[in-house]
Amino acid sequence: MTLQQQIRSNRFRSSIVVLGFALLLLVLAGLIGLVLDLSLGAVALAIALVYAIFALLRSRSMIAGMTHAQPLGEKELEPLRRLVENASIGAGLPVTPELRLVDDAAPNAFAAGLRPEKSYVGVTTGLLRTMPKRELEAVIAHEISHIRNRDTYLMTMATVFAGVIALIADIGFRSIAYGGRSRKAGGLVVVLAIVGFILAPYAALLLRMSLSRRREYLADAGAAEILNDPEAMALALRRLELDSTTIRYADASTAHLWVESPTDRVDSERRGVLALSSLFNTHPALADRIEALQEAGGFRLPEGIPAEQPFAAELGLM
Amino acid sequence: MLWLWIVVGVAVVLAVVLTLGYNRLVRLRNEVETGWANIDVQLKRRADLIPNLVEAVRGYAAHERGVFDEVTKARAALQHAGTPGAAADANEGLTVALGRLFAVAEAYPDLKASENFLQLQEDLTDTEDKISAARRYYNSTVMHFNTAIQSIPWLLIAKPLGFRDKEFFSAQGDTALPQVSFSPAT
Repeated sequence: MTLQQQIRSNRFRSSIVVLGFALLLLVLAGLIGLVLDLSLGAVALAIALVYAIFALLRSRSMIAGMTHAQPLGEKELEPLRRLVENASIGAGLPVTPELRLVDDAAPNAFAAGLRPEKSYVGVTTGLLRTMPKRELEAVIAHEISHIRNRDTYLMTMATVFAGVIALIADIGFRSIAYGGRSRKAGGLVVVLAIVGFILAPYAALLLRMSLSRRREYLADAGAAEILNDPEAMALALRRLELDSTTIRYADASTAHLWVESPTDRVDSERRGVLALSSLFNTHPALADRIEALQEAGGFRLPEGIPAEQPFAAELGLM
Repeated sequence: MLWLWIVVGVAVVLAVVLTLGYNRLVRLRNEVETGWANIDVQLKRRADLIPNLVEAVRGYAAHERGVFDEVTKARAALQHAGTPGAAADANEGLTVALGRLFAVAEAYPDLKASENFLQLQEDLTDTEDKISAARRYYNSTVMHFNTAIQSIPWLLIAKPLGFRDKEFFSAQGDTALPQVSFSPAT
């Protein structure tokens, strides 16, 4: 698949996601209307729309807020900014995304923004303290390729809609639970509606998670192509695998944004017991991602990881 | 009547396929052009840094005229290069000439420590990194474009439509090309 095909297939997926969520939303509103009151269904739908529009408009700063990403000053961390510039030139992006810093000991990075021109890349200070230049470049290229592939757009849409679904389901659930007497339909329909309201947020979550897992493989491959160095990406993932610090501001709602899953690191261990839980992972296991890179690039990483000077030393941060 | 409908149907399908394919080729060609513009910007930036660098070194080593001439000539060659291949060669030539200039600078500790010189050196390194990043992107767009017009059916009709193979940005004797494309695992 060429890059343009990927981008188009991603745009297509985005519209499917939007359509799917819209459908889910209509069904929920319909359920509310059916069980309780038609006007209540309309009100719920209106609330959902307003919420969605507001969330989309504010998504940029909301994500910055949730991840605690700080914008940098004019000349601050110039060498790091140059890595971002070079990765975006290598990716053929028309503009270099803004760079933001997350003060956190866990090594991780993320990308956000609806359009490439308005996107930004966030890296944690822990990442700078862990990764040598070559691997840091690979992680940045991974984020840049999320932006280039329009993954950030797709995932922002998915996140916002998942939030809306949860909100509507909650409204429906509460109206049934507390508005008992105004019920119109009886028995079976009510039970169905309740089940629907309970399951809908999970359906939304599932859709969102399955989307983001595939994206990770694509972004890894993209980073390998941008730098023409698949080994750097694999090494970076290996280094993340060996690190066990978790991010402080980890939040399920932003989990899919990061290069390595910030929350579900225990999932790989409990997979045997609860195989279903892997459906809810935002990221494939790091080992699988390394394996995919090795296969595509035709190389094998040696055991262990070379001890190298982290980039933070070059930046004078250590 | 049936055969008429079949002919019309085939013609319509053919027209649609051709239109879509043609648009794809145009898009790929535009990508190559954008990719080239990215390299060009950085090459210009590199050429623009040279006069200041030469002046900075001349201030300490005015007698090294041969080296300055060589660098100036290499810069002019880069500015007048007409094709991507020629530009890559000229860029390589400039790298060699600059290597000599920096070797001269080695002998002057005052020069090497001067703020101006350090800044120029850093800018130059940055530009070189950016040229290699832009080159990776450009060469991958060229590869996609060339592959597209060399495959059937475009092999037969690309030339009459004005699509010609694009040149890689690679100096002669450069074996690092073309790069591997990493198809993602699904």
